Amino acid sequence: MPLDTASYSLALLRLDGRRWNELRRLTAQISTQAAADGSSYLEMGNTKVICTVSGPTEPKGTGGSRSGGDNAEVRVEISIAGFSGVDRKKRSRNDKRVSEMAMTIANTFTNTLFINLYPHSTITLSLHVLSQDGSLLAALLNASTLALVDAGIPMRDYICSCTAGSTSSYSSNDEAADPLLDLNSTEEQELPFLTVATLGATDDVSALVMETRVQIGRLEGMLAVGVDGCKQVREILDGVVRARGKKILKDSGS
Amino acid sequence: MTSLKRSLGPDPYASNVSSKVYVRSTRSGKVQKIVRELYLRQDIPCSSQLCRSCLATAPRDASGILVPFVLSAQPAGTKTYPQGHYIVPDTNALLNALDAFEQTSAFYDVIILQTVLEELRNRSLPLYNRLVGLTKSEEKRFYVFFNDFRLETYVVRENGESINDRNDRAVRKAVEWYARHLTQAVKAAGGKVKKVPAVVMISDDKENLIKAKKDGIDACSLQEYVNGLENADQLLDMVSAAKEWRETQHAKVAENLYQEYFSVSKMMTGVKNGTLHQGIFNVSPYNYLEGSIHVPAFDKSLLILGRESINRAVQGDVVVVEVLPKDQWKEPSTKIIEEETMNKDENADAEEGEAVITEKERRALQEEVKKVHSKSTEGRPQPTARVVGVVKRNWRQYVGHIDESSVSQTAKQSRKQQTVFLIPMDKRIPKIRVRTRQAGEIMGKRVLVTIDSWDRDSRYPAGHFVRSLGEMETKGAETEALLLEYDVQYRPFPKAVLDCLPKEGHEWIVPPSMDDPGWRGRRDLRGLQICSIDPVGCQDIDDALHARPLPNGNYEVGVHIADVSHFVKPNNAMDTEASIRGTTVYLVDKRIDMLPMLLGTDLCSLKPYVERYAFSALWEITPNADIVKSEFTKSVIKSREAFSYEQAQIRVDDPSQKDELTNAMRTLMMLSKKFKQKRMDAGALSLSSPEVRVEMESETSDPIDVKTKKHLDTMSLVEEFMLLANTSVAAKIYEAFPQTAMLRRHGAPPKTNFEELANQLKVKRGIDLRVSSSKELADSLDRCIDPKEPFFNTLVRIMATRCMMSAEYFCSGTQAYPEFRHYGLASEIYTHFTSPIRRYADLVAHRQLAAAIDYEPLDASVRSKGKLEAVCKNINVRHRNAQQAGRASIEYYVGQALKGRVVEEEGYAMKVFSNGFVVFVPRFGIESLIRLRDLAEPEPESAFDAENYILTTSGSRDVKVELFDKVVVRISDVKEESTGKRKVKFELVKVVGSK
Ligand SMILES: [Zn+2]
Repeated sequence: MPLDTASYSLALLRLDGRRWNELRRLTAQISTQAAADGSSYLEMGNTKVICTVSGPTEPKGTGGSRSGGDNAEVRVEISIAGFSGVDRKKRSRNDKRVSEMAMTIANTFTNTLFINLYPHSTITLSLHVLSQDGSLLAALLNASTLALVDAGIPMRDYICSCTAGSTSSYSSNDEAADPLLDLNSTEEQELPFLTVATLGATDDVSALVMETRVQIGRLEGMLAVGVDGCKQVREILDGVVRARGKKILKDSGS
Repeated sequence: MTSLKRSLGPDPYASNVSSKVYVRSTRSGKVQKIVRELYLRQDIPCSSQLCRSCLATAPRDASGILVPFVLSAQPAGTKTYPQGHYIVPDTNALLNALDAFEQTSAFYDVIILQTVLEELRNRSLPLYNRLVGLTKSEEKRFYVFFNDFRLETYVVRENGESINDRNDRAVRKAVEWYARHLTQAVKAAGGKVKKVPAVVMISDDKENLIKAKKDGIDACSLQEYVNGLENADQLLDMVSAAKEWRETQHAKVAENLYQEYFSVSKMMTGVKNGTLHQGIFNVSPYNYLEGSIHVPAFDKSLLILGRESINRAVQGDVVVVEVLPKDQWKEPSTKIIEEETMNKDENADAEEGEAVITEKERRALQEEVKKVHSKSTEGRPQPTARVVGVVKRNWRQYVGHIDESSVSQTAKQSRKQQTVFLIPMDKRIPKIRVRTRQAGEIMGKRVLVTIDSWDRDSRYPAGHFVRSLGEMETKGAETEALLLEYDVQYRPFPKAVLDCLPKEGHEWIVPPSMDDPGWRGRRDLRGLQICSIDPVGCQDIDDALHARPLPNGNYEVGVHIADVSHFVKPNNAMDTEASIRGTTVYLVDKRIDMLPMLLGTDLCSLKPYVERYAFSALWEITPNADIVKSEFTKSVIKSREAFSYEQAQIRVDDPSQKDELTNAMRTLMMLSKKFKQKRMDAGALSLSSPEVRVEMESETSDPIDVKTKKHLDTMSLVEEFMLLANTSVAAKIYEAFPQTAMLRRHGAPPKTNFEELANQLKVKRGIDLRVSSSKELADSLDRCIDPKEPFFNTLVRIMATRCMMSAEYFCSGTQAYPEFRHYGLASEIYTHFTSPIRRYADLVAHRQLAAAIDYEPLDASVRSKGKLEAVCKNINVRHRNAQQAGRASIEYYVGQALKGRVVEEEGYAMKVFSNGFVVFVPRFGIESLIRLRDLAEPEPESAFDAENYILTTSGSRDVKVELFDKVVVRISDVKEESTGKRKVKFELVKVVGSK
């Protein structure tokens, strides 16, 4: 097997050759499925996800209890392909971790979309994970942003997300530990990390999830790197959206 | 903050991302495919101080600090490369001779390639760790160059290319790039091309060297390279001799002396379906040609007799054996066979006509066989086996000395390379053939060697010389030898560890304000009359005690233990170091600490008159020593006095002392006696091991006398309460963490362990030894009394102790509850809690207890069963090694104390062989062998009655020795020829007899 994360200190290089403050290759497409109201495909390194949006839809049938009340309801479904991970484990939809991610995504977008414009309706995000290599929640959030833009649902700003970690484990008293941006799965397994999402290029944090333990002193550095990474993510997402916009204009113009 | 992304346009990685695919098989046998991205870059510096361009793009860490460049601008030159040179070793070069790379006399400015580092990690983790250590030492100037991440040096594996070939090519490409890059750098700085240091690849792979020459790369073999250095002789020895051996011998089509090993798959299937057995190979301390292996399928150990059956297995190796047919089963030997006397004058260089078994050995073995066949069926033959393969070598570095007789006289002065035998201190290790040019110099010194290989065509293993520890019998060399032999980590603590200590150093105090976070969750016990009782001069005080009467007539008793877990946080450098060391090692004149002195002897140590953090166990106990309730808490205490056992004893015994502290000790004493009685009633064993103390001259620390330790009641006092604390804590942490509690068990010895002793007692004394429970054993040991010989009981206890299993640490989830039992203490559950300064297990127990009482959350490392098992495995080994090292140290100093003296002492025959017997001398706590040939010159005739354990000699001397006989021996000290140890020598003066 190759080296482990402890080798970072040898030359300030991570396991895949990145520096501490570098994102992996992030590429995305939108309107990948014509039939959906909105759709996107996004890769962060080897983490690959698809998002389709349906809605806002009015509830079927009259009568009965109307959902949501004055605002639209954001529903999130995540399905993780059995082949996406290393060990081919089938995760059920009710897996605790998966439903927590779905909850985080739903809450984040409930606060960002102008859901008051669509009373009594539902906006459904279907997320499919094709390949996992760390920063899964961040990739899902970013893909959702793109698909929602594609669906034309108004939002305050992009939700941009990425992970940040620290080069040394929880309890070592390593004051000099560097923060790391955008962790892959090996790094996630060995190091403490958090997922952060910001509203556009601002410093407003709209989601923050951390499941590992880290010394409090390192948190600030991690968060700063994460927020900075979100700004980089926004530029990339914005580039994708604008390129798509230009193409539509060009196509309709001719 | 900058990002490569923005500076390089929309998709900067398109050409610079590559993937690496690994296939990994998991423990459960699944195969996983792992794909990893690889980001190739151009800003990985060459780290040469000659280069400016790399400096501009050199990486900075998150605080903006630039990593200084490592490689010298004026590296050392050699004959071949007078302009100076950088070294780039390949993986094999490091595998074969890392020792040489660690020398301070050569091997500076070394570039370690990522490819090589990864390969080395796969091949040998210990070597990898040593290499990483080297890259961190500033003076050696080792630089890790991540060639697989640099665009120019990244190499894609071609179709049909093996991984090895790909890696070799990657190494060559990196060397080539370095050479070109340095030339450019020097030119850019306006320097002369002639002055550019050469970049030299070192490889022992012929093909790689040929390809390198073809590509125009500077390359040479390790041997060639070292030959060009000034101190070549010394280094050449370290350059593993193994390869050379193979080459010269293959040329001769050597005759194979040993059977070929089975293939791995054949061994595995065999083990699975029960035709073969796997286990750890052990050599008998009395007979180097007799090994044994314990396998689950047999009650009794399998015997492995003779060199051919042992088939190159070395003490400690994990081997696979095949059981021999029943007609070849034998009894364990009753004869002492020592390698040195058998093959005394062999020539280490002789390679022709070498037989596996020398004529003498053959004769010795034949006699053995005859004896078995002639015996009545009443004998107890044991199954025998032969080694068919080695699963894992357990080779380490061995301390020993050069067999002077193997050094040719002419070569003593010349620096000609020659082969010599190294005789290891550990008698169970065969002698090792070492090629050296320094035979003359290292003669008479303690030296360290490693085994490199043991081929079928070589009678002895081949190894190489690592370093000399110094003149034999000097205190420094002998102590270091002992530490190395028992694998005790004795180097000073590295900086990373010392950095974990509190910044205040010795100035640290318990925070005066109770609002300080240090006080959180701590109870203030400073008002209690607490004291500690330890051996004289004890500096690392782990434990202190108090007792006071309660209004209801009961007593409150507290055991306060140093709060080490407050200072040592899980997984930091200090914790890692402590977990590796596992225990503090006590030698006669030296202590090798598990934790840095600052903690061990000051901040953690429960010294008197100062406030200290503690972890307290508090009980309410009735006057009948029944426990009403118990609780645990972190606390702050202030010990009133640190007593020695003797001082405490005097105070307790002196009726005029009526102060609170003395009264508390009297209470403790009263309770401890009741506790002890209860334990004894429950079947706790009182075993014995010879304990002696070496008295030292305080100025010179030369040993002046040996005394047996005296037992005081205050010792049992402390012991009883430590046992109480340990058992209470064990129950508590097991309740909180049923799967992962750190516990200690002592297995019940299998009945067969006592067969020999029981038979001996029956035959010689008509005593029945009952062993079905610890209670029965304890009772029958009490009955082993010889009215005329008061020492007889102790002697039997010493022998019984050797039949016991050794106690071990374990993780509660790995055993069923009934297996938790501590046989010797007759306790259902037990752990170690009371000595966290000097035992790592206790530190883990502290962390678990702290979590169990909700003082702090439990760190992941002490929550994972797998990690805990690894910790247990290590500390079990360390614990055993520490005990053995301590014993060996006493043995050495007893020898020193007797130096130049001749004493006559009484002793007892505790083992009788057909050609000698072992005598134990209680006064010094030592035992030694008296062989027939030690009795008289020429060696007397002998007759051995194995059934009755009687050895009778006639001819040159008439002696009749029976087992358990009292004898008088003359003790003097001699240098043992075989191991180079100064040892006591016993000569038989007379047999006093027993009946
Ligand atoms: Zn350079």
